[in-house]
Amino acid sequence: MTERSDPDAALMLRVREGDFDAFEQLVEKYKQPVMNLVYRTLPDATEAEDLAQHVFLQVFKSAARYEVSAKFSTWLFTIARNLCLNEIRRRSRHPADSLDATFPDSEDQPMRQVEDAKAVPAPDSVMRSELEDKIEEALSELPEKQRTAILLCRGEEHSYEEIATILGCSVSATKSLIHRGRETLKQLLKPYLRTGEWKEK
Amino acid sequence: MNETEYRELMEASWRRPLTAAEEARLQAWLAVHPEAQALWESELSLNHLLEQLPDVPVASNFTARVVQAAQREAAQPAARSFLQLVRQWLLPRRATGVAWAALAVCVTWFAVHQAESNTKARRASELVVISRTAVLSDPVVVEDFDAIQRLPYAEDEELFAVLNK
Repeated sequence: MTERSDPDAALMLRVREGDFDAFEQLVEKYKQPVMNLVYRTLPDATEAEDLAQHVFLQVFKSAARYEVSAKFSTWLFTIARNLCLNEIRRRSRHPADSLDATFPDSEDQPMRQVEDAKAVPAPDSVMRSELEDKIEEALSELPEKQRTAILLCRGEEHSYEEIATILGCSVSATKSLIHRGRETLKQLLKPYLRTGEWKEK
Repeated sequence: MNETEYRELMEASWRRPLTAAEEARLQAWLAVHPEAQALWESELSLNHLLEQLPDVPVASNFTARVVQAAQREAAQPAARSFLQLVRQWLLPRRATGVAWAALAVCVTWFAVHQAESNTKARRASELVVISRTAVLSDPVVVEDFDAIQRLPYAEDEELFAVLNK
């Protein structure tokens, strides 16, 4: 893997030299997929965003030690997953603490500006929203590794080898995790699979 | 196409839509393996469901906030170097502390080892005395020892005198 074959790695090398424009490009490109993964691991929008922000800060702090040995996105999602797991562990030890206790500097920042897309739901979007909730609910019931494998597998961003690296297991184990996760999802979403309700939406 | 290729196509469909050529090969396989049709349809249905998962809303100023935080992080070299100094000051002292603790453990171990050796040596010498006692002459020899011990010294001299005659 070289910076030529991975343009993000080239950007990261610029970040290492202190280039904030390169860092901004990386954040802009990956904020959505990182947020999708973090939110579905820690289902709390505010805390997920704080953690997603911390993921990128961690990337920035680690820039000095960054070496182009793997695809940048693999490295990024490994950091994201590790921080999520740390947060899950911390919550199990101190359930009452908020994420601000972990990342106190996040309090000094400007308020979030989230577009409230669901403020006035159109009637035809209600059923879609209900279906989305069911899918989210079914995903949340999966073990963390199966869920992460399925989420990373969605879309063409990561190869199975990269997902295996992020999860810290072999490619065959990764495929097995995805297969088992999908079987569970099929059971949980059986009524929706059978009726094909999603197709009309 | 064989079973392995069919599985590979299924795994490919988890990540992306199949190409027209792949789709054609798959349909040809399903035509001769109708038992696999139901499984394939359920896989396809789940793919469609998962595609519908919406993106999680992200704050419009997310990038700006992250970059600001990174700039703050970069602008704190003085504070960081102070922390590094503290660490540099603490680490050697921590190492010295560890060395002292290791020395204390060694001295304690040596003292305990020596005390145990001494105890063993003392017990061994006591055993030698006991073993020697075992080869003493018959106890009958010292049967009247106490009575003889109590005899006044003068009487002894008288007895010696008688005996010497």
